Amino acid sequence: MSGCGLFLCSVAARFCRTPAAFTVSRRPLVTSPPSRAFAKDLFLGKIQKVRRRRGGLGLSNTMYARLGEVIGLDASIAVTLAAHQAIGLKGIILAGSKEQKARYLPRLASGEHVAAFCLTEPASGSDAASIRTRATLSADKRHYILNGAKVWITNGGLANVFTVFAKTEVVDSNGSVKDKITAFIVERDFGGITNGKPEDKMGIRGSNTCEVHFENTRVPVENVLGEVGDGFKVAMNILNSGRFSMGSTVAGMLKKLIEMTAEYACMRKQFNRNLSEFGLIQEKFALMAQKAYVMESMAYLTAAMLDAPGSPDCSIEAATVKVFSSEGAWTCVSEALQILGGAGYIRDYPYERLLRDSRILLIFEGTNEILRMYIALTGLQHAGRILTARVNELKRGNVTTIMETVGQRLRDSLGRSVDLGLTGKLGVVHPSLADGAHKLEENVYYFGRSVETLLLRFGKTIVEEQLVLKRVANVLINLYGMTAVLSRASRSIRLGLRDHDHEVLLANIFCSEAYHQNLFTLSQLDKHSPENLDELVKKVSQQILAKRAYICTHPLEQTS
Amino acid sequence: MSWAQAILLARGLSRGWGGICSTALTGAPFSQVPPQAPRGLRCSAVAHNPDSSLVPRPPEPSRRPVKALAVHEELFRPALDGTRDKANFVRAVQNFAEYNVHKRGHVDFIYLALRKMREYGVERDLSVYNLLLDVFPKEVFRPRNIFHSIFIHYPRQQECGIAVLEQMENHGVMPNNETEFLLMQIFGRKSYPMLKLVRMKLWFTRFKNINPFPVPRDLPQDPVDLASLALRHMEPDLSARVTTYQMPLPKDSPDTMDPTETHIVGIQSPEQQSALARHDPVRPIFVEGPFSLWLRDKCVYYHILRADLLPPEEREVEEIPEEWNLYYPMQLDLTYGRSGWDDYKFNIDEVEEGPVFAICVAGAHDQATLAKWIQGLQETNPALARIPVVFRLSGSSGELLASSSELEEPPPPPPEGQEEEEDSQQRQQQGQS
Repeated sequence: MSGCGLFLCSVAARFCRTPAAFTVSRRPLVTSPPSRAFAKDLFLGKIQKVRRRRGGLGLSNTMYARLGEVIGLDASIAVTLAAHQAIGLKGIILAGSKEQKARYLPRLASGEHVAAFCLTEPASGSDAASIRTRATLSADKRHYILNGAKVWITNGGLANVFTVFAKTEVVDSNGSVKDKITAFIVERDFGGITNGKPEDKMGIRGSNTCEVHFENTRVPVENVLGEVGDGFKVAMNILNSGRFSMGSTVAGMLKKLIEMTAEYACMRKQFNRNLSEFGLIQEKFALMAQKAYVMESMAYLTAAMLDAPGSPDCSIEAATVKVFSSEGAWTCVSEALQILGGAGYIRDYPYERLLRDSRILLIFEGTNEILRMYIALTGLQHAGRILTARVNELKRGNVTTIMETVGQRLRDSLGRSVDLGLTGKLGVVHPSLADGAHKLEENVYYFGRSVETLLLRFGKTIVEEQLVLKRVANVLINLYGMTAVLSRASRSIRLGLRDHDHEVLLANIFCSEAYHQNLFTLSQLDKHSPENLDELVKKVSQQILAKRAYICTHPLEQTS
Repeated sequence: MSWAQAILLARGLSRGWGGICSTALTGAPFSQVPPQAPRGLRCSAVAHNPDSSLVPRPPEPSRRPVKALAVHEELFRPALDGTRDKANFVRAVQNFAEYNVHKRGHVDFIYLALRKMREYGVERDLSVYNLLLDVFPKEVFRPRNIFHSIFIHYPRQQECGIAVLEQMENHGVMPNNETEFLLMQIFGRKSYPMLKLVRMKLWFTRFKNINPFPVPRDLPQDPVDLASLALRHMEPDLSARVTTYQMPLPKDSPDTMDPTETHIVGIQSPEQQSALARHDPVRPIFVEGPFSLWLRDKCVYYHILRADLLPPEEREVEEIPEEWNLYYPMQLDLTYGRSGWDDYKFNIDEVEEGPVFAICVAGAHDQATLAKWIQGLQETNPALARIPVVFRLSGSSGELLASSSELEEPPPPPPEGQEEEEDSQQRQQQGQS
C-alpha cells in the first residue's frame, strides 16, 4: 500500500465518521443534493481508478478494494461514489476512445462533474431486448436524437455525464435492418434531459435516485461509446467489472459493527452475567467474524487475480463475491441488531439504518438470483465445452467410455479418498489446515462428477432448470470461499502474522460448515433424490399461482 | 278405501243420509266424494236392493282425464291466485294432516308430495322435508322387541322414510337435528331411515367441498350474469376479461316485434389476444358451436373462436435473440440436448388442440349475432380484420327439447370459399364504413 493510499484511507475514514455524513443519511428525504459539498471536498475526485494523467489516482484493484473498506462505513456515500465511478464512468474507461477519455475523464475525476449509468427502464430490468429508449440518426448524420425514459438512476439528479443505452437501427452485413443497443455519453448540456423527483427509498436515503427523461436530446455522433450496435457488450463489461469491491466494503462495515456490538455485549448485564457469556450471543459473534473473514479473503483474492498481468476474466469470481457478501451482510447486520435487542430497533442507534442500507445490496448490481444463474451457467458453459467430446461418445454408445464411466461411478459409490495435492509434502496448504483442505478436495471432486451428470442429463436445456442452477451456484460460492480462506490462513501462518491461530479457527469453522452444506446440496442434485423437493415445490407454486392466493381453508372453518 | 266408502254410503243411503254425509265430508276436498255422492243419490231410488249394495262395485269406466289422479291429488290443486309456492305446499300438507286423525294413506300422500315438490319449488327446503316427515304417525312404527328389530318392522313405511331422505340427498339438503329427532320418534334408532340419516350426516360433511370447480348454489337469474359466470368457469386464466358486447333489450314495450337484440358476452385473456395478433392471415379461423355447458340445472350455450393447429413443418421455431439477457446467457453453446431419461414433455393423454382465441355466450345461435361478436372482438384485436372467419355452426342445441333443431352442415369447400369472401368483404365494408 503506497503512502498516498494510506493517507487517503485516513481522510476517507475521517470523513465517513463526520456528523455531516451521518446526517445526510438520516434525513427523511434528501431535499438538496449533497454532492457538491463533498465533491468540492476533493474526496470524490481523488478516488478514481482513472489513471494519473487524466487526473485520477491510478489505483489498482487491490487498493480500490482497500479504499472500499473505509467508505463502507456509510452506505449512501459508498453508493453515490460507486454509481459515479464504478459504473458511471467505467464505460468511458473501458470502451471510450482517446478523445472521449481526454474530454471527459479529467473533470469527472476531479469531481467537477458527476456521472450516472442509465440502463434500467420501467419495462426492462435485465431484459435488454425490451429497452424502449430510441436513438435515431438525424438528417445531417451528425447527431443522434435520443428519446426515452430511464428509471431508478443513482445520481440522476446530480449527474452531468450519463452513460445511456438506447436502441438504434443497425444494418447487418447481409443487409437486414435490426435494432441493437448502443451506448452513448450524454451530457446534461445537450438539452432535453429532465429528472423526476428523488425516490423515497427504504435505505441509502442520502443518495439521489430518480427518473431521467430524454426528450429529443441531440447527441453528437462522436459520443457513441464503442461501435454502434455494440452497447450490449459494453453494458455487460461494465456490470461485470465493478462487483468485487462489495466484498471488502461490506467486510469493513462488518468489522466496525463487531466492534460496536461487542462493546455493548460486554457492558450489558442480565441475570448477573454479561451478555457475552451467553452461548447464543457468542454464536452470533462467531458468525459475524467468520463471514467478515471470508468476505475479505474472497474480495482480495479476486482483486489480486484481476491485478495479474493480462487482466484475466474474473467475472464469475466477482459475482461470487457479490452474492456471498450481500447475503452475509444482511444476516450479520440482522444478528447484530438482535444482540442489541430492543435498543437495536430504535432509530437513535445506527443498527436499523445499517439494516435498511444493507438490504439494497441483495438487489442492485444484479440481483442475487440472477447472479446465481450467471455463475452456474458460465461455469457450465465452460465445463460443457470440455466435456462435449466425452458426452458425444457416451451418447453414441461407445462401449469403452461407458465401461469407464460405470467403473468410476461404482468406485465413487464405494467411497474413495480424494487427493488433489493440496496437502502433503509439496502442498500449499499448511498442515494445521489439512482437514479443511481435504474437505475442499472432496467437494471439488464430487462437484465435478455432479456437473458431468447434470450436463449429460440436461444438456442445453439446463438453462430452464433454475432450481438446479441455484444449487450449482451455491456449491461454487462455497468452494470459492473455502479456497480463499484456506489460502489466506496458510499465508498468515507462514508469514507469522499476528493472531494467525484465530484465523485458522475461522478457516476451519467455515470449511466444515461449507463442506456439509455442499454435501447436502450435491445430494439434492442426484436424480430422484429424496432430499430434492423440487417437484413438490413446483406443484405448490403452480396451484398458488393459478388462484393467485393462498388456497388452504382457514383452520377455524367447519363443514357442518 | 273405495269399497269401505261404498259400504258407508250404502248404509247412509239406506238411512237416506247420503247427501248429508257428502256435505259433511266436503269440509276437506275429497276427490272420491263428488263422483260417488251423485251416484249414490241417483242410485238411491234403486238402493233398496240390499245385495247390490254390499258387493264392491267394479271400477267405473273412467270419465276422468287420461292421466289418472292419484289419491289426495286434489290437495295439490293450484291455489286461487295460481301460484305454487312454499305456503301453498305447506297448507296442502297440513290439510292432509288435519283431515284424518289416523292418517290413513299417509305413505301414498308422502310419495305424492315428494313428486309435487319440484313444481312448488320447495325441493331444497329442509323445513318442508321436516314437515313431510311430521306426517308420519309417531311411536307407532318403533320396534318394541327383538323380533321387530330382526324383521323389518313396517317395511312400507320405512321405505317411504328412506325415499324422503333420498330426495333430500338428491337435492343436496343437509338434515338437521329436527330431522334426527323426528326419525327417532317415528322409526326408532335401529331403523333403516335412521341408518341412512347417520350416513348422510357423515358423508355430506366430507363431500361438501369435494368439487374442485364449485358452482354457486343460487345461480343468477339474469342471463348476462349467468353468461359471465359460465365464461369465468370455463376460462382458467385469471387475467382474462369478460366483455358484454350487447345487452338484451328490456321487454317493457308491448310491441309484438321480436327483440332482435339478445345478449352477447365474451371472454378473452391477454395470451389469447397476443396469439390472435400473431396468427397468420392466410389461415382461416373458425367460429364453432354451440356447445353446451351445464351449471347445476341450467344449460348455457357457448361458441368458440379457434384455429387449426399448424402442421409441424410450418411451426415457427421461437427465435432467441442473441443479446437478450444482460446478466447471464439465456442459451448455452452446447451441441447436445436433454437425455431421453429426463424428458417429461411427452404425455400420451394430452392431445394438442389448435389455439382457442375467445369464447362467447350469446342468446341466439345464428350467424348475425355471432358476427356482431366478431365485430366487437375487432376493437381489441385489430388483426382480426384481416383474418378470414368461417362460421361452422351446428344448429342443434340438443340438450333442451324445446328449441328447434335445424342442422346446418358445415359448408363444402366452394361455398366455404364464398363464405370467406363474403366475410372478408363484409369485414372490409364494415371496416370502411
